[in-house]
Amino acid sequence: MLEYAGSRSGFRTQRDEGAALMGVLRSLDWLLVAGIGGLVAVGLWAVAGVTRFDVAHNPSYYLDRQIGYAIVGLVALIVAVCIDPELYRRYWRPIYVGTVGLIAVVLLIGRAARGSTRWINVGFFTFQPSEFGKLLFVLALGGFLADRARSANDPRTTLRLLGFAVLPIVLVFAQPDLGTALVYSSATGAMLFVSGTPWRQLTALGTIAVLLVVGVLWAGPAVGVDLLKGYQKSRLTCFVQPSHCSSSYNLEQSIAAVGSGQVNGRGLNNATQTRLNFLPEHGTDFIFASYSEQRGFVGASLLLALYLLVLWRGLRIVATARDLYCAIVAGGILVALLFQIFINVGMTMGIAPITGIPLPFVSVGGSSMIANLAAMGVLLSIHARSRAVRRRR
Amino acid sequence: MASTTANDIPDVEPNRLGRPSMRVGILGSIVFVVFAALFLRLWALQVLSGPKYVGQTQRQAFLSVRVQPPRGTILDRYGRPLVMNSAATVVQLWPSDLPTVYSDRRAELGAIARATQVPLYEISAIIKSHRNEPFVTIREPASKDMVAYLSERASEFPGVTLGRAYIRHSPYGSLAAQVLGYTGEISQAQLNQDAKGGYVQGDVIGQAGLEASYDSYLRGEAGAARLHVDSLGRPRSAIQLTTLPKPGHDLRITLDVKLQQAAERALQYGIQLARNNGKWAASGGAIVAMDPSDGAILAMASAPTYEPSVFSGRVTERQLAAQGLTPKTALAKNYPSLNRNLQGLYPPGSTFKPVTALAGMEENMFSPYAYQPCTGTFSSPQDRSHRTFHNWDPNVHQQMDLPTALAYSCDTYFYRLGNQFYNLPADRGQPLQRWAEAFGFGQLTHTDAGPEVQGLVPTIGWREATYTSISDPGHWQVDRLWKPGDSIELAIGQGNLLVTPLQLTRFYALLANGGKLVQPHLLLDVENPNGTAVPVPSFAAPKPVNIDPAALAVVRQGLVEGTHLPFGTSYGVFGHFPVSIAGKTGTAEKVVTLPGYTGIQDQSWWCGYGPTDNAKLVVCALIENGGHGGTAAAPAAERVFSAFFHVKTTQLGSIHSD
Repeated sequence: MLEYAGSRSGFRTQRDEGAALMGVLRSLDWLLVAGIGGLVAVGLWAVAGVTRFDVAHNPSYYLDRQIGYAIVGLVALIVAVCIDPELYRRYWRPIYVGTVGLIAVVLLIGRAARGSTRWINVGFFTFQPSEFGKLLFVLALGGFLADRARSANDPRTTLRLLGFAVLPIVLVFAQPDLGTALVYSSATGAMLFVSGTPWRQLTALGTIAVLLVVGVLWAGPAVGVDLLKGYQKSRLTCFVQPSHCSSSYNLEQSIAAVGSGQVNGRGLNNATQTRLNFLPEHGTDFIFASYSEQRGFVGASLLLALYLLVLWRGLRIVATARDLYCAIVAGGILVALLFQIFINVGMTMGIAPITGIPLPFVSVGGSSMIANLAAMGVLLSIHARSRAVRRRR
Repeated sequence: MASTTANDIPDVEPNRLGRPSMRVGILGSIVFVVFAALFLRLWALQVLSGPKYVGQTQRQAFLSVRVQPPRGTILDRYGRPLVMNSAATVVQLWPSDLPTVYSDRRAELGAIARATQVPLYEISAIIKSHRNEPFVTIREPASKDMVAYLSERASEFPGVTLGRAYIRHSPYGSLAAQVLGYTGEISQAQLNQDAKGGYVQGDVIGQAGLEASYDSYLRGEAGAARLHVDSLGRPRSAIQLTTLPKPGHDLRITLDVKLQQAAERALQYGIQLARNNGKWAASGGAIVAMDPSDGAILAMASAPTYEPSVFSGRVTERQLAAQGLTPKTALAKNYPSLNRNLQGLYPPGSTFKPVTALAGMEENMFSPYAYQPCTGTFSSPQDRSHRTFHNWDPNVHQQMDLPTALAYSCDTYFYRLGNQFYNLPADRGQPLQRWAEAFGFGQLTHTDAGPEVQGLVPTIGWREATYTSISDPGHWQVDRLWKPGDSIELAIGQGNLLVTPLQLTRFYALLANGGKLVQPHLLLDVENPNGTAVPVPSFAAPKPVNIDPAALAVVRQGLVEGTHLPFGTSYGVFGHFPVSIAGKTGTAEKVVTLPGYTGIQDQSWWCGYGPTDNAKLVVCALIENGGHGGTAAAPAAERVFSAFFHVKTTQLGSIHSD
């Protein structure tokens, strides 16, 4: 077994660097790497099938692009693996300011697409800051919590963290991107949870969150305050009372698509929901439904199992992280991932409200793919520097 | 454990979560619950309810289209096709495939309009009226050039497809046009009317004549085809036939093409004769030739007529107008779509005299062989207006029995008889009208040849009901009364009496067959495409009208004398005809309204049958505004008999007579 150079004294000489690289490779969580690789592969396979009939005369239009994004994402992952998370903790303030700045820029110069402003056009690529923001948000707020760890029981710590969290959440919500705002909120909750915030405060926060949902959806409109756009609200309330909804077309088509896949899937040519466009947004928000239609229970289970593998390895990393900061960051990344999977997969099957959240590693889109792979890189980096790996040496 | 970590990295807060930490455990439980929910739901949807959703997705992704069946052929009694189908290429348009941006859509429709030579507004109207259908037929049939142009430039015309269709074709052109009728797309009103008949929008159904009467046999059963459509209803696959359409049944009818052709030529001949005689208003007419024993119609001609091909394929207002088939142009063309045999109403004039004679004998009002004076004029002693009724020949003064009076068509003889009917005591009722109705006048014949009118036999009750203070404020007190003149005019088939040529034909068939009323009909049988007969409702058997055979014999003698004795009114036409023909002329005065003219015109009639003793054919001919019966209608009828008996025309020349 090779000598591990240590996180703080290494990277000095050529020889040390080589040894460090070997060490990092040795200390990778290869089950997690297999899970990520499997997800990217299944994701590309899904995109290949689902978007096959979307662009006339070019069945691999979306697949080619998605492969390109995956390669860029792989580079981002490798870079993230090499960076000691301590670096993020030290510079959490600039990261926070940068995240908020990027999201704010979208609001200022972003272009409108389907009524939402989420993208910045950088020529070759439309860049969606809120996707990268999911990771940056966790890295920044984790830094604050780690610094205040000794006063974790103090309600003022919790309140100040919420103060930091609210700004980006509100900016994303204003884009408007309700789904991503909810992902940020879930990550915030997870970080508080992992950092050891007392149960009493967590219970209070949970109560406030429930009251907020009730207020925004029902009480607010009743007294004339409408924070949500009509379609957002109807999607959310449709989920509770589908029979009262006129705008449940997407949901019906999505459920029919999933169901019609049966055990083995209908294949590409017979998957009429996807091929004949009955299922809208089947390359992005509803890709799970399309994929399930084409590949059936077998294919859908494979995808869910890969997610489960990644989440299991992730939880292990939370438990064995070197320090509190790493644990918080890993927890935030994992819960954000879990939340996205549940909302996206759940909405295609009618057990979660419909919000425009992409399915990690699968939905067509570069920002999401790159940001998710970068987040996995951070997880792997945390693992490489964890107690578990060190104990092994 | 915590201390070692803290020692390694002193300025960093240690991770207080151990491997068995409760909080990681809680996070793990959440992951477990979430995935359990997702897997269960996935299992329920795909494995448990999968087949249900497969059905649902297939229903919406497949579009069922009706495939119109080929319509049955209409054949004459000897199997000659009168109406058949010809295959054609049609241009179809899928509106869902058109651009959605208004200006693009307009430009594309404009290009389609130019390519198919169908005006843009017409295409728009077709699309609008077929909103519930996936595609519409905009050009039927398409010419070869059009088909070539459109198939070469298929990519320039998204939403345009070429299809096959059957188009009605009449090998004999306008022959029996009003009898055969025409087909057309079902109208909204017809759809509303007939919800149970299984018709749907886009179906082609019979709109007139036999095509309409026997649509249920001719139409066949639509087949089904299906194709993939996307969520916007755009076609995404070729059409696959799932149920074959069942072709319609073939209709064999009682018409004989040769006799029909002869009848139509005879009708034109009669009209031409009338015009040559200076009857400028003669332009229409009707001829029926019928088997008197069972009512089978062998020929049914009505003039003027039209070319039924204007109803095949694309129907344009301009073509219809040119043929006088639109409400605006019908009058100028003298109503060519009207089957005058069923829908034309005329006073029968002297052809009605046998009715008066039979009624008078049945009511024992006179002796047929007793001589009565035939004079130039007659006036009724009971008539307070002292009106004088004239004989057609003012110089006659002779004693006549009934056969002679019929053959010579003496008006005053029948005026006297009419006056006798007027003078009958009230408890005898109105026997002349009762007998007229028994003979089928004022009644529907219940023929299958198409919609008919029932005509009018005027009665005392009818006068009272018709002339009221509201309908006739000036003279209703007088007009509502039945006066001697009414009976007198009715006796010679004038006054308010109105009949159709077919009613009159049926009456002469009754004279020919010994007193039985037949149901005039055209249907012979129906065969399915395999050649086996299809059961059809049968026509009413000839119904005896309980007239004294002796009375009938006297009338028949009168009709024979009318064609065989030199004073007979159609002796000049039938006197030397190789087959013995019996018949009666009629010259009926009718107030007619023509473009720029209103006045009294003589309607030229001839009705009769032959051979006299064993009649095979009864013919009624009418030349509208054609003058005397002997000069126009009788020569026309003679041509029909010539054709039927395959004999040469042997006319002496028409005679100026009643």
